Amino acid sequence: MKLKSWLTLYRLLIRTSIRSRMQYKFNFLLAAVLAALIQISEFLMVAIVLHKFGAIQGWSIYEVGYLFAVMTLSKTLYRTFADEVHHLEKYLVSGDFDQLLTRPMPVLLALMPQNFRIMLGEVLQGGFILCWSLGGMMKGGQVSWTAVPSTLFIIGTGAVILFSIGLATATIGFWTTRIGELQTFTEDAARTAAQYPLSIYPKWMSSLLLIVIPVGFVNYIPSLYILRGELGAWVLAASAGVAIVCLAASLRFWRFGITKYQSTGS
Amino acid sequence: MLYFTLASKAYARNLQYRGAHMVHNLASAMFGFMYACIWIGLGRDHPLGEYGTQGMVGYIGFTQAALWITSFISNGLGIPQAVRTGQISLDLMRPVHLFSHMAARECGQIAYQLLYKSIPIYLLYFFVFSLQTPQHGITYLHTAAGLSGAAYLSICLNYLIGVSALWTTESSWLYWGNHALINLLAGFFIPLEWLPGPLESLAWMSPYPYLLYVPTTVYLGYGNAFWLWGTLFWCALLTVLCLLATKVVRRKVEVQGG
Amino acid sequence: MIEARNLYKEFKTPVVREGRFSGIRTLFSREYRHKEAVCGISFQVERGESVGYIGPNGAGKSTTIKMLTGILHPTSGEVSVGGLNPHKDRRKAVRQLGVVFGQRSQLWWDLPVKDSYDILAQMYDVSPADKNQRLNQFAELLDLNEFWETPVRKLSLGQRMRADIAAAMLHDPELLFLDEPTIGLDVHAKVNIRQFLRTLNQDFGKTILLTTHDMDDIEQLCNRVMVIDHGQLTYDGTIPSLREMIGLPTSIRIKFRGAYHVPEDLDRRAHSHLFRVTGMEDDTVMIEANRTEVSTMEIIRIVGTWGEIDDIAMEEPEFEEVIRSYSAS
Repeated sequence: MKLKSWLTLYRLLIRTSIRSRMQYKFNFLLAAVLAALIQISEFLMVAIVLHKFGAIQGWSIYEVGYLFAVMTLSKTLYRTFADEVHHLEKYLVSGDFDQLLTRPMPVLLALMPQNFRIMLGEVLQGGFILCWSLGGMMKGGQVSWTAVPSTLFIIGTGAVILFSIGLATATIGFWTTRIGELQTFTEDAARTAAQYPLSIYPKWMSSLLLIVIPVGFVNYIPSLYILRGELGAWVLAASAGVAIVCLAASLRFWRFGITKYQSTGS
Repeated sequence: MLYFTLASKAYARNLQYRGAHMVHNLASAMFGFMYACIWIGLGRDHPLGEYGTQGMVGYIGFTQAALWITSFISNGLGIPQAVRTGQISLDLMRPVHLFSHMAARECGQIAYQLLYKSIPIYLLYFFVFSLQTPQHGITYLHTAAGLSGAAYLSICLNYLIGVSALWTTESSWLYWGNHALINLLAGFFIPLEWLPGPLESLAWMSPYPYLLYVPTTVYLGYGNAFWLWGTLFWCALLTVLCLLATKVVRRKVEVQGG
Repeated sequence: MIEARNLYKEFKTPVVREGRFSGIRTLFSREYRHKEAVCGISFQVERGESVGYIGPNGAGKSTTIKMLTGILHPTSGEVSVGGLNPHKDRRKAVRQLGVVFGQRSQLWWDLPVKDSYDILAQMYDVSPADKNQRLNQFAELLDLNEFWETPVRKLSLGQRMRADIAAAMLHDPELLFLDEPTIGLDVHAKVNIRQFLRTLNQDFGKTILLTTHDMDDIEQLCNRVMVIDHGQLTYDGTIPSLREMIGLPTSIRIKFRGAYHVPEDLDRRAHSHLFRVTGMEDDTVMIEANRTEVSTMEIIRIVGTWGEIDDIAMEEPEFEEVIRSYSAS
């Protein structure tokens, strides 16, 4: 299948998905706003502490907000397009994965458009915190407007890194079928940990978050350069490099995993 | 002893997955570890009130373990799912009160989570952070009372969330809202006295502090055993609310014809 | 059209530990139980054939189908479908086949039926003109119009199956695989679907391979049947010859005109092993004979000596019986 016709197909699916959501416009908007508020409470929890004590290890409330928002937006981008990768277990348990294997296209491309998720709540929450923290830092003269394109860039590379981690974790499901518990570890816990500056953790843990589960490259490492001018512009290229390597490795692993797929039932 | 059977079945149902749950415990423990690291980081530059860094680490360790018996219990006691599948009309037909039926089942779940989640997680923190244990025996008694009350409060709150599923298909928002309130008002991450003034007063007008903050501070010796009367008050109030809600539910299901 | 050479599939499942800490021990254990689902199957299917693939539950039917359609990778052996290997060249190979699983749908659960076809057409590069022309044809044969706008989750099982078969044929594949296509359907829906499959096979020359538990499917649709048991192909041939091989008794009703006389010493006569009398009514005698051992003419010759024959009716054994006794033997 050619890339162009795949894109047409994907657009078709997005349109259908949006159309079916919009049947309940009010419900949809209310749900999005509620989701955003509820998720902001998580940040509020930390913001209150930072407001009271000033900074964690030299990281101001704006900087932590930035880390938080970039992580949220990267995750949102990943989950909008590839939510079904995260929910692969469902397909493995029910045997619905069989259907995808009969499609005349790469299995991953057949899997992803099964569900296009509109995560307006997360976009609102992440966007709000990002604008607030960048705005605060610009007013204080810490960063200039050049931070905006770099931020958009690292949200993109971050989404690729998170996608790769998610895909590699999901692939383990071809052996174990159940992956929920492992995902809590590699996706949820790791991502939450990287919402704070990695320097607060003991050495072994920050290395874990940079090397084994490289969530540190989503927000922390690039922000050292973008917000504080440390390291150098090469950091952005390095983040993109990490994203490409992760993607290639996880795709390879995925392709290998598929050959080990044991369909359920008789 | 019907209620005991219900509870022990719920407990036994979980036993078969305990291997996977241990992996999950590692991930859960990592969250607490992260929060503790934040406080340790803050503690390097700032004095942390009467708690001090070690005190705050103990605070996080205890709340993160207690969460699994007083906050993270079955979503709406499983009632929203029963409503979706239609199981609820069967449950209402049983010669047992819906509330006590659901509560007994959840007790088994909570007993399981106490043994296989809270205790292992707390033991882990205990050794990793070299935590202290209370000096007076009576403190254990007060803590046990506070935690039992908190578990019961949590059952009531989730019951109310659960029955709301009969009116709205969006009851999962209440569940998430409940989580958000636990984050902010129960002392999940910040001791209540450090909340901005209005938020602190708001918290004390709600049952949330009794879920985590009260048992934790009582255990750590910062709190006041007198607060347990508050736990008792909220338990009584929420029980009445749950019983009233059941009455309304019964009428509602009868009108709908199940 | 289909060629399978020495297909072999083994499943590995971790051994579940018992007793204390069993959960954790299972998690880290490296012990596996090996189960051979399919052991060394070979066959060929020619273009235009309609093949029934049958056998008891757990015999390896679905596993074989899943290997033929590229879903499962065989432990060893080769598959070629329309000249392509569905494992090495999956994407090209699956383009020329349609697959229907009776137990699950390939349609989009919460979309109207017609939207699923739009997506599938896009996926298989079917031009709008072709799509419309085929759908019109299917709609007429399968009565799709009555639920065209209905979301798939609201369809009855029979409607869903019709919609699913049309979906599998939308890209006009030469080869159609069906796994239990009539499972759980009522008689009317079954008849409708069989009719459509017969049209596909006889009028459009499509090759069909189906698994089923319903022997009427096989009898009405298939000109060839393969029996699998314990992962091995135990029979491959036509239905009549399968029946003959097993030699289940054919029951024959003989109606006499006027009086008849069944010899009392029938058991002791020379031909006694050829048939036996199972019942007698006013003017009718029922006998059972094994037709691999005795011809119908021979029976008529003997029975003709008992009286004047008015009419003879023969009933072939039920197909389900055939399979049951074949698997048992």
